[in-house]
Amino acid sequence: MSRRLSRLRDPGTTEEHTDGHGLTRRAVLVALGAMGVAVAGGLAATPGTAHGQAFGQNESVEEAMKRLFGGKTIKDGSAAIKLDVPLIAENGAVVPISVTVESPMTPTSWVKHIYVVADKNRIPVVTRATLAPEAGRAYMGASIRLGETGDVRVIAEQSDGTLLQVKREVKVTVGGCGG
Amino acid sequence: MADIGKVRIRVPSSIKPGDIVEVRSLVIHPMERIERDAQGKIIQKNYNYINKVVVTYLGKTIATFDTTQSVAENPFFSFTFKATDPGQLKIQFLDTTGGRYEGTADIKFS
Repeated sequence: MSRRLSRLRDPGTTEEHTDGHGLTRRAVLVALGAMGVAVAGGLAATPGTAHGQAFGQNESVEEAMKRLFGGKTIKDGSAAIKLDVPLIAENGAVVPISVTVESPMTPTSWVKHIYVVADKNRIPVVTRATLAPEAGRAYMGASIRLGETGDVRVIAEQSDGTLLQVKREVKVTVGGCGG
Repeated sequence: MADIGKVRIRVPSSIKPGDIVEVRSLVIHPMERIERDAQGKIIQKNYNYINKVVVTYLGKTIATFDTTQSVAENPFFSFTFKATDPGQLKIQFLDTTGGRYEGTADIKFS
């Protein structure tokens, strides 16, 4: 058994000698790198961390918009989107927001996503609602945090990929994001 | 904290077939904020906050919310659905520590 093992081990060592160190070392490094990636991937797959890092990040609003929508053009949606958010939020820790988008909500034309982005928050992306036509109406409501006075924008993505945006400034008396 | 994960759902008392019904839901959850040390550096840890809300009606997903720490403590969500048949409306809240909190409401026509 031990002899077989040693024989098994032998070709490896001879191979290393014949192929030269550079190649094998590189191979080993590549393998290690792949393992590293796999480990990182595994870590990222744990609930939350991956999602949180991928979706909500500590970044500027420009970066967030670029990350979410790439270079796609965003049209003015003030005719179609009804954004209900207070003009003055006394307490930034809880700010009620509700959004209604005019849409037939049929399987051929519906509002797929509603994004809420708070420009001045450290994590600008607040939420993304994904709707099905069965929702009947393109509506969502939520309670959000606002760190300081700034724009709150809502972007609606329709099933054909059209992006519509509305912006509204909210004055915040007491910030709610802490940190 | 004892109440963490308590889900409340509110649906209108009378629903007719074909109505578009607004549902309001709330979950008790701390939604931890980013913490910083004395130097203002962000402390890296697994913050406990809800990052997904899934709404199903008659077994079909009608709405999901992907959320971040910019959502308020004890978050409130509302949405609509088209009441086609009596059945169960289920809301699941998933947080970053693997917690799963559920609430259901029976949709009946009156």
